[in-house]
Amino acid sequence: MPHKPPTKEELERRKIVGINEETITDVSSTDFPGHYPGEDHSWDIESFRRGFRIEFHQNDPFEASFSLIGVDASIANAFRRIMIADIPTLAIETVFINNNTSVIQDEVLSHRLGLIPFKGGHEGLHKFLKWWRKPTDEALVNNSYYDYNTVSLRLEVQCEHNDKAAAGETDPTKLYKHAHVYARDIEFCPVGRQDKYFSGADIIAPVNPDILIAKLRPGQEISLSMHMHKGVGSDHAKFSPVATASYRLMPVIKIERPILGRDAEKFARCFPRGVIGLEKVTKKEAAQKGSGYEGHDGELKAVVVDPMRDTVSRECLRHDEFKGKVKLGRRRDHFIYLVESTGQWESDAIFLEAVAHLKKRAADLEKQVINMVR
Amino acid sequence: MSREEYQVPTGSGSATGGGGGGGSFNAPAARDYAGESGGTMYYMCGDCAVRVPLEKGAAIRCQKCGARVLYKERTKRMVQFEAR
Ligand SMILES: [Zn+2]
Repeated sequence: MPHKPPTKEELERRKIVGINEETITDVSSTDFPGHYPGEDHSWDIESFRRGFRIEFHQNDPFEASFSLIGVDASIANAFRRIMIADIPTLAIETVFINNNTSVIQDEVLSHRLGLIPFKGGHEGLHKFLKWWRKPTDEALVNNSYYDYNTVSLRLEVQCEHNDKAAAGETDPTKLYKHAHVYARDIEFCPVGRQDKYFSGADIIAPVNPDILIAKLRPGQEISLSMHMHKGVGSDHAKFSPVATASYRLMPVIKIERPILGRDAEKFARCFPRGVIGLEKVTKKEAAQKGSGYEGHDGELKAVVVDPMRDTVSRECLRHDEFKGKVKLGRRRDHFIYLVESTGQWESDAIFLEAVAHLKKRAADLEKQVINMVR
Repeated sequence: MSREEYQVPTGSGSATGGGGGGGSFNAPAARDYAGESGGTMYYMCGDCAVRVPLEKGAAIRCQKCGARVLYKERTKRMVQFEAR
């Protein structure tokens, strides 16, 4: 029997992960050589180009949402992991504590300081600043700090009584001066050429100035300086440029038989707002034999408006009135990313950097493989 | 390196090596507490938090409120931590 090429519907069906009431079907992709007899599914750059698409849904400096369509999960996941663990940022790495008489312990204070996200001039952060490597000889450590690999910060706060506070005042922030230590109290100390790259709007400063670092009472003091270095998220989470970088698969909702009237309203309530819409059954549809709309002219029917907003809660599968009328699924090659930057990079730049990083890694691997077979 | 081993940097080390041409700098020096050293040790009163100077062999007692619980002051040395 000669092989028939798959229809468009069949190709579409192969891309869907089935979501049933309690089970999930067709989890793995099948577009690889040898799976379908008579079909060649070997990877080909031209067919990839034809099927690949990127759509941006939201692109704010600190939050971006976009879709990668027509790509395998391995690639999509590589981008996600690179964004979290391999894109470098600048963070506090060493804390030199001169005095800390607050109730928060030195170790805990240092840890908290390390987690504060900082921003600064992009050229300085991404081009001028280089890696700092701890010298193997401990004695040389003090000669390893330069303006191109270390950023110096200071935090000097002393808490005192506020003489101007009203009698009977109970709010510590009014009763005392500097009762709260915030991220904005951290001072940048430029060295060498850092003045050129990090001045004015480009100054190195906390992204969120209102982060509470510690609370003080009169007589207590925090006096310390800090060194920032470049690092990657695989070393420590404080270096990760993203608060979240995740993806989900595009939900698919297929209404197979009409859902009408009160059922349609109930059906819409099974989904987040905006996913299901209600439309009137047209005369044409009602006149069509076997459509399921006969005699329902003018009634409301449920239609899928925006499946992307669905959370795939499967609520609609719990109700008997929708049994056999709806099919849920997810598109296996449609990845909806959500990238939330911590502030040092623009969120879309993080993704572009991840692409560049994967390219570089692939080129490095190619070199190794060529060396290996030589 | 444990904190006991830590040597207080002098703060005057000069830059060596590096083709950057930029200014290099050392770890910050410890604060200058000169003048506070000598025979007198300071303690904190456990009751009224006043700073109590004590000579060698003196009675362990707050001169202001008479409390007998005195606390040692925090080290004057700079202490280094990793922000991890
Ligand atoms: Zn006392």
